[in-house]
Order: sequence, then C-alpha cells, then structure tokens
Amino acid sequence: MRKLFLFALLLAFSFLMVACSSASSSTDGNDASEGDSDNQSEDSSSSNSESKDTLVIGLDDDPPQLDPHRSSAAVDRQTFQSLYNKLIDINENLELEPELATDWNISDDGLTYTLTLQEGVTFHDGTDFNAEAVKFNFERMLDPDFASPRASEVNLIEEVNVLGDYEVEIVLSEPFAPFLSVLTDRAGMMVSPTAVEELGDDFANQPVGTGPYEFVERVAQSKIELTRYEGYWREKPAIANVEIRPFPDANVRVTNLVSGELDLLNKIAFKDIEKLKEDPSITLLEKDALGYQGIHLNTEVEPFTNKNIRQAINLAIDREAITRVVFHGGAVPAVSAFAPSSWAAPDFEQPNADVEAAKALVEESGLTDVSFTLKINPKPEEEQMAQMMQAMLSEVGITMEIEMVEFGTMLDQLSTGDFEAVRLGWSGRTDPDGNAYRFFYTDAPNNYTNYSNPEVDGLLDEARTVSVQEERKAMYDQLSEILWDDAPYIFLYHERDYKAMKNYVKGFEHVADTMVRTESVYFE
Amino acid sequence: MEQATEANVKQKIPNPRVEMFKAMMGRFFQNKLAVLGGFFTFLLIFMAIFASVIVPHDPIEQNYSEIMMSPSADHWFGTDEIGRDIFSRVIYGAQVSLQAGLISVGIALAVGVPIGLISGYYRGFWDEFVIMRFTDAMLSFPPLVLALALAAVLGAGLENAMIAIGIVLTPNFIRLIRAEVIAHREREYVEAGKASGLRDWRIILIHILPNTLAPIMVQATLAIASAIISEASLSYLGLGTQPPDPSWGAMLADGQGYLSDAPWIALFPGIFIFITVLSINLFGDGIRDMLDPKLK
Amino acid sequence: MVSFILRRLGLMIVILFLVSIIIFSLVNVLPGDPALLVLGQEATPDQIEALRDEMGLNDPLIVQYFNWVVDVLQGDFGNSIRDNTAVTTILMQKIPVTLELTVLSFFFAILIAIPAGIISASRKGTAWDYSSTLFALSGVSVPPFFLGILFIFIFAVTLGWLPPSGYVPLTEDFGRSLLLMLMPALTIGIRLSAELTRMLRSSLLEVLQSDYIRTGYAKGLLEKSVVFGHALRNALIPVITVSGLQMATFLGGAVITETIFSVPGLGQLVVTSILTRDFPVVQGAVMFMAFAVILINFFVDILYSVLDPRIKLSGGTK
Repeated sequence: MRKLFLFALLLAFSFLMVACSSASSSTDGNDASEGDSDNQSEDSSSSNSESKDTLVIGLDDDPPQLDPHRSSAAVDRQTFQSLYNKLIDINENLELEPELATDWNISDDGLTYTLTLQEGVTFHDGTDFNAEAVKFNFERMLDPDFASPRASEVNLIEEVNVLGDYEVEIVLSEPFAPFLSVLTDRAGMMVSPTAVEELGDDFANQPVGTGPYEFVERVAQSKIELTRYEGYWREKPAIANVEIRPFPDANVRVTNLVSGELDLLNKIAFKDIEKLKEDPSITLLEKDALGYQGIHLNTEVEPFTNKNIRQAINLAIDREAITRVVFHGGAVPAVSAFAPSSWAAPDFEQPNADVEAAKALVEESGLTDVSFTLKINPKPEEEQMAQMMQAMLSEVGITMEIEMVEFGTMLDQLSTGDFEAVRLGWSGRTDPDGNAYRFFYTDAPNNYTNYSNPEVDGLLDEARTVSVQEERKAMYDQLSEILWDDAPYIFLYHERDYKAMKNYVKGFEHVADTMVRTESVYFE
Repeated sequence: MEQATEANVKQKIPNPRVEMFKAMMGRFFQNKLAVLGGFFTFLLIFMAIFASVIVPHDPIEQNYSEIMMSPSADHWFGTDEIGRDIFSRVIYGAQVSLQAGLISVGIALAVGVPIGLISGYYRGFWDEFVIMRFTDAMLSFPPLVLALALAAVLGAGLENAMIAIGIVLTPNFIRLIRAEVIAHREREYVEAGKASGLRDWRIILIHILPNTLAPIMVQATLAIASAIISEASLSYLGLGTQPPDPSWGAMLADGQGYLSDAPWIALFPGIFIFITVLSINLFGDGIRDMLDPKLK
Repeated sequence: MVSFILRRLGLMIVILFLVSIIIFSLVNVLPGDPALLVLGQEATPDQIEALRDEMGLNDPLIVQYFNWVVDVLQGDFGNSIRDNTAVTTILMQKIPVTLELTVLSFFFAILIAIPAGIISASRKGTAWDYSSTLFALSGVSVPPFFLGILFIFIFAVTLGWLPPSGYVPLTEDFGRSLLLMLMPALTIGIRLSAELTRMLRSSLLEVLQSDYIRTGYAKGLLEKSVVFGHALRNALIPVITVSGLQMATFLGGAVITETIFSVPGLGQLVVTSILTRDFPVVQGAVMFMAFAVILINFFVDILYSVLDPRIKLSGGTK
C-alpha cells in the first residue's frame, strides 16, 4: 500500500514537472502555433535547421505494403518513392524522364521495347542492378503463383530478353501504347533479386530497393523509418533520415503539421485549404491531379437499366455546388475520366445541374417512385457530398438512400455486383488508357457497372495501338462524349492535389501523380 | 426486507399498499436530483414526440449560402458544414437517441427475461454450464468492442445498431433476473403454489415475475442511458444511424473536424447526449432509492 | 483454497473456449472477402481464388477454427492481412501503449475518487455530498468521445496548452509522452473516478455504520482518524475488487478514447482492424482483450477471497 502511494506521488510529481515545462516553453515562444515542447520550437525556427536531420512525413493512411509488386493500395506508392527507383520517371509537365532506364526504343510494330539501363546502380544490399535484375523483376510480377496485383498492367509481356549487362528487351504480345507510362509506377519499380530470393514472403517486411533511402524499421500503424542510402547512384539526398507516420484523421494530421510534429503532409482535408494558405509557417503546393471521382451505377439492376434515369442523375447534380461547399475549391467539376492536367481532357463542357431537363428525363423514363441506395465510405467529405446529392436528386423526383460501407466490404460488393450505386473514384494514371480501359471495356476487371458498348470497346482498343498523341486524343474525346451520354458512371469531380509542408522544407517537386518524392527535398 | 416493511406498515394503517406507494413517492420527491432528472427526461421525450412542431427548420434541408453560421436568432445553435440548422437536427436527434435506448433495451429484455426466468427456476446443467458460462464469455468482452463487431457483422444502420446493443445488454439482464428468481423460488408462496399443483409456467408468471419487476425496472432505466451512449458511439464510428438522419453521435463526429472554426457543430449535440444520459441516470437512481431505501 | 483456485481455473478455461468460439464465428460472418482486400481493385478472379486457397479460407469452418485454436495455443495468432506483420508483433507494439494509458487513467481516477468518496460519505446529506454525487453521475453519463472532444476544444484548440493528439513512447521522450497522454488519461480517468466515487461512498457508509467503527467512537477516537484509519482501509477492499471487475468496461472506454486522440493502442487497433476487415488482427486483439479481462477477474476473485474472509470459498462469486 505504501509503495503504491509512493509511486502515485512520483507520478503526480512528474506530471507537475511536465506541466511546468510545457507552460514555460509556450510563454517563451511568441508564436502560439509552435512550442509544444522545447526541442520542437527549435525545429520550427529556421536558424536551427542544421540540427534537424529527419524529414517527418504525415501520410493519410498506414501503407499496408512495402513490396511494390504486392501493393494494391494507393498510399503505398508514397513510401516507394523513397525506397525504390522506377525504370522511368515523369516530371512536373507529365513528360517521361530517364531514371533507371537511360534510354528506350520502341519497334515500329509497337511490340518490342528496348531499354538501356543506368550503370553503377546497386541495391541497398549491395546487389548490382542490371538487365538480369530487370528480367527477374518482370518475371516475378508475371508469376501466377505470386499473384501480383501488378500482373494486370504487365500481362501483355510475352518475354523479357537480356541483350547485354545493361540492355534489356521487352516483347509484348500486342501493341500497348501506355506501356512506358506503366513503368513510371509500381510495375517499373525494381526490387533486389537477392533479397527476394533470401527472404521470400518476408521481403515485404524488409524491403530492399535502389532508392535514395533504405529501410530501417517499421512499427505497424505508427511509423516507418528510413535512412539515407550511402551508396546511392545519383546525388545523395540532403536529409539523413525519413520518418513516415500515418495519421488517418485529416484534422490530426494538419494540427501536427502546424505544431511542428510533422514536416510534410501528402494530403490535407479540403476544408483546411484556406487556413493553411494563410499560415505563414506553412507552404501549400497545389496541382491538378490525374484521377477522377464519381458514382458507379450498376446498369444491370433497376432503376439503372433505364438510360433516362442515369442521364437524369447526370444532369440533376450541381457539381459546382459540391466542389465549392465540400471541397472549398480544391476540386473541379468532372465530365469525363480525364482530368484537366491530362492531354486527353475533353475540350467541351457539359451542362451543370439542369433540373428541368433532369425532371423531364425522369418522366420520360416511364418509371415512378425511382429510388436507389448509394454506398459510400464513412468519411466526413463523403457524407457531406452524399447528403448534398440526396437533396439534389430529391428535387428531380429521385429518392436516394445512403449507406456507409467500409472500403473492404465495398470492393467485395462491387466485384459481386451486390450494389445499385457506389461512390468510388480512381487515383488516376499518367496515360489515359489507365483511367478508362479497366472501367469501361466490356468485362474488364473494374467494369463494375457492367457497361458494354461495342463502340466504346473499339475506341479503347484502337487507342492502345496508335502512338500519335493527337490521334489518340480524338479517340478519347469521342469516348468521353459517349460515356457522358450513356452515363454508366457519373463523373463528379477531379481532385486537386495538395502538399502541405513547413516553410523550411524546400526542393519539393510536385508532380501530378501526387507522389512525395523525397530525393530532392532539403531543409533551409 | 420487503416483508419487514410490509409488516411494520400493517400495524398502524389499514391500507398498506397505498401507504407504501405514498412513502415511496415521498422518498422519490425528497431526492431533488432525481426529480430534476425525471423532469428533464420527460421534457426530452416530449421534445422527441413533438419534434416536428417544435423545430424552426427542416433538419435535413441544406442551404449552401448559410454554411457554418454561428448561433443566431434564426439558427439558435448555428448551422453545420452544409448549411443545416443544428437546433432542428438536435431536436430530431432526440428521437433517434431515445428510440435507440428504448428499443435496444426492449430487445435485451425480450431475450434476457425469459432466459433468466427459466434458467433461474430450473437450474441444472443448462443453467450452470451453458447459459451462465455463455453470459460469462459475453461479459468478458469490452461491451463497445462486442457492439462494434456485431454492428459490423449486421451492417451499418440504426436498426442493426439497436440489435447489436440489445445483444450486448442481454447477459446483464439474464444474470439479474436469474439471481432474483433464485432468491424467490424458495419462498413460501412459491412452495405453496407448487404444492397446490400449479404448473411451472404459471408459478413463474404469477408468483415470480411480479416480484422481480422492481429491480428489472431500475436496471432497464439505467441500461437505456448506457444504450444511448452506445448508439452515439457506434454512430460516431460510422456504424449507427445513416445520413441524413440526425444522430447526436454522428453529428459530433462531423463537427470534430470543425472545432476551431465552428465548435457549435460538435458541442450542442454533445451537450444533449450528456444531459439526456445524466437525466435518465438521475431518474434511475431515484427509482432505485425509492424502491430500496436501505441503499440510500 | 487450492480446490477453490482449481475450480476457478477450470471455469476460466471453459469461458475462454466459449470466447474463442464467439470471436471466431463473429469474424467469419463479417462481410468482406480478405483475399479481395489483399489484392485490391486490380485482382483477377483466378488470383483471388488462389489466394483464398492459400489463406485456408476455402477449408470447412470447423477445420479453420481448429487450425486457429491450435496456432493460438502455440502463441501464433497469424499474420495481418493488411501488411503481413505477425499479429503477436502488432500486439506487442500496442500493449505497452494501452498499459501506459491504463496506469495513468487509474492514477487520475484514484486521485479524484478517494477525496470525493471520503467527503461524500463523511458529510452525508450536505451540499458536499450532493455535488460529489452529481459529479459521479455526470462522470458516468458523459460519453467518452464527447469528453475527449471537449478537452481537445478547451485545452488544445482554445487555450493551446496541450497538443491535441498523438503519441510518443515513454522510452523515447518521457515528459512528452506523459503530456500527450494527459487528455486521454483524464478522459478515461474521470469516468472511472465517477464509478469509484460512487462505490467508495456506499462502501464507506456501510463500514461507518458497522460495529467496530462505533467502538472506535466509544473509545473516544477522533472522527477523522476513524475515517482514515479503519474505515477507509476496509472500504477499499470492495472498491478495488469492483474496479478490477470493471476492466471490460474500461477497455471499452479505451477503444473510443484512443480513436479520438490517435493513441496507437489496442483500442485503436481493434477499431481499425474491424473496420478494415483485418480478420487475424481482430481475432488476436479481441481474444487478447477478453483474455486480459478473464485473467483479471480470476485474480480479483482470488484476492477478494483472501482479503475478505466472509466470502465462502466453495461457492464461487455468486
């Protein structure tokens, strides 16, 4: 009993100490936003930045995977930027740039890709990066037993041939114009063959790449620690360590940035755009992204078998109001699968919220008491948007129920067709094919709407074989028109991408693929 | 002890039941906090019933030109992030909360009372090794975790949340009623009933059940309070009431993101959950003291 | 005594068995396909089927249950579907966090409850008693998430005294760790203290009316020393045992509090793993929680029978 009491006293004492120290530090600092503890306020003042050697990044979710060929979650890609190199990179203007591949050649029939590789690159475990490694990586992704989610992107590869130590040839079974852009993402990330063979399934827990930072430790749902790879083939990054911490709650993430716990965020809540723009200690970068957001309508169930109803929904929704109220200008209304930053973005505009026309379409449909259930993810912005659309649709005589479903369940129900309408978007790919084919081609893997239109299939096929951009653009324009008219999917908005960082974080290259590229970042 | 008071009363007064009732009411009204709790509870029930008459605005109507307005004469509690009147939503939220409390406790009673009665009356293998151990197992889970898992299994929605909470509450009722039955089944009047050849179910219904009503009532009242918190918790986590229906828990979750810009979105529904649960608890405590003066 | 402990142990195993069945059935009727969750939007049906086979999801349920129990008994809770980490590793990372929260919460609870309970009982019927009763009932009535949000609003948003949320391990930065834990611990601690205050009050009142305390009066001892010396010690026995039995409720409170304050403990783990359908983690974490509750109840039972000779050893708890 007495010991317990002593312990309690000790605890009370230490609390007092803490309370005092925190009180004194907050009176020291003039700026209320900094100074939760002493060392933190040092970090925030730029004069002391030499003492800071760790870039702390706040992500919107805990990345489930550290193995790029196993990865299916978009958030994984953020960590990969530090751990791995891609064969090809894209720059701020969405142009292809050499990374591990210094040069590439495409045969006239569009089937053979010859890559010249960078020499003098080693993986974090010392293994040399060469043509054999590239071959190994593609074979890994194509191995049916490995069941890589990347397989769908590389399954057109017929063979990979080693032409020399630093030259490799990839042969496709049919022409696939977007292939190079596939190599700018996970399918183009190279893992160490030695490590894969040694570790097997455990590779995901001890990933080895060629990237600017190597893996140190991970505490699930808490942090991932990386440290500078001293044998890096390009100029070594300026900051010694990177720490990646997941904060699924956007408010928590932003507060921690403002208070100085975090240096950089990959995502912010749209409601905080204004606040962060005004904050002098924060740099907010803005960029049009590549994805789109909208609603999958199951065209095989009532009432969406009826094209009039789908069109009515398309016209009833006031996209301007949604982007203004929910996204505070951080998104633009969408009428197609191609964001404004993409070369495939259609030049035409579509009418915004034509209530009368929508009402007429509902009447024309011949259906009465039109109602359906929209499934959404339980997130504040989703709920707000769904409730707004609910109100908009009720004005044209359509009843929409809202059901919140967790992401895993949602995917399950999408693939089994157990839904009427689902609010789900796509993070976007550099090549327009990656935004359209998988969703709108008959029986394509993500064709949840069960949409089938031979004209659309023809266009999508053709756009894969042609490599002249202007010609492809014309095809995608036509596709956008047809999709707007058939409306199997209601395009709602394209999100802008925001990267928020402390103002002493410099050198960040903001690319539309929304990735956090740590290599070029430094403190000032 | 109940018999003792009855005996005391009999010596002086001709009509013991009325006097006992008077004494109980006296004890209840002596407890000012309980009276206050009762008053607020009935006020909330009144509000919930007449919500459509009371509210100044449609609780789901959105006005995009009046977003996140601070409390004013037109919007007493301000407006939320898509321009809805928070006062109206809070009043309608009382419907959801009280409904959730009553129905989930109703479910727990409907399942728990029969099982508790039978289990306690017959005892034996099923009672000792199945029902009691099963309630033990159920009670080993943190209640919210069990409710969360059940709600996830059943799917999001108010009905399913109420079922989940009802299931979680059930073992408490089974145990309470069983204990009461065991205490009563050896009494003379039960023995007498048995001797006169009454069927078991009649003994249970006529002699035992009425004697267990008082503790059941107290427990049920307090359970309503905790059920309201549970529903709000599930809605807070997104598994309860679905939008646009106003649930206090969901409103609080919505408002948490706007604490610095528009604190009223979260604070008003929070205050109402607190007042409601506190009132019901005060009221329930009052009833318990009224029925059992020794504990006071 | 030995036979009493053995009896309780036997009971504990039966309950654990039932608990494992409940958890397993719950997790298996949860909607959502784990294989699909691993492979994501881009998976082909063949890949999904292959992975289902590999994960043993196509085996009969009895076989799956049996395999799981055998693995658990060997200390293997499987691997997370989400990131393939061993569930035991994840639990080992989360347990210290929740333990820190637990210790601090009880610390605050006791710090508040003992004076409140004593004042309330020793001045029964006064304004002091009323306010302490009202406090206790308020503490029980306030939903933990509202109290948490209220704290964030007052101490972090308005006054800016405390960081709104987050976690640092004690070993990394002792002071900061405690500072970050302050609001979560108070959130749970206040509720806990409310319950303890009520129990302490009624327990003290009972003891104060008992014979030996009256003897204390007769001997001419001062009231204060009576309350502190004899009554408190005896009144604390039921309070300690009952607070042990409150463990399940306490962990339930931790679930939502950790979620609000982004404390990466067991509670947050359970919520996220249920919501993301990470079945092995749900099974492991919930099993661990239930096990902790059962174990604590077991020790409390034994402790109680040792401390309070009035309890009959053969009869169990009720």
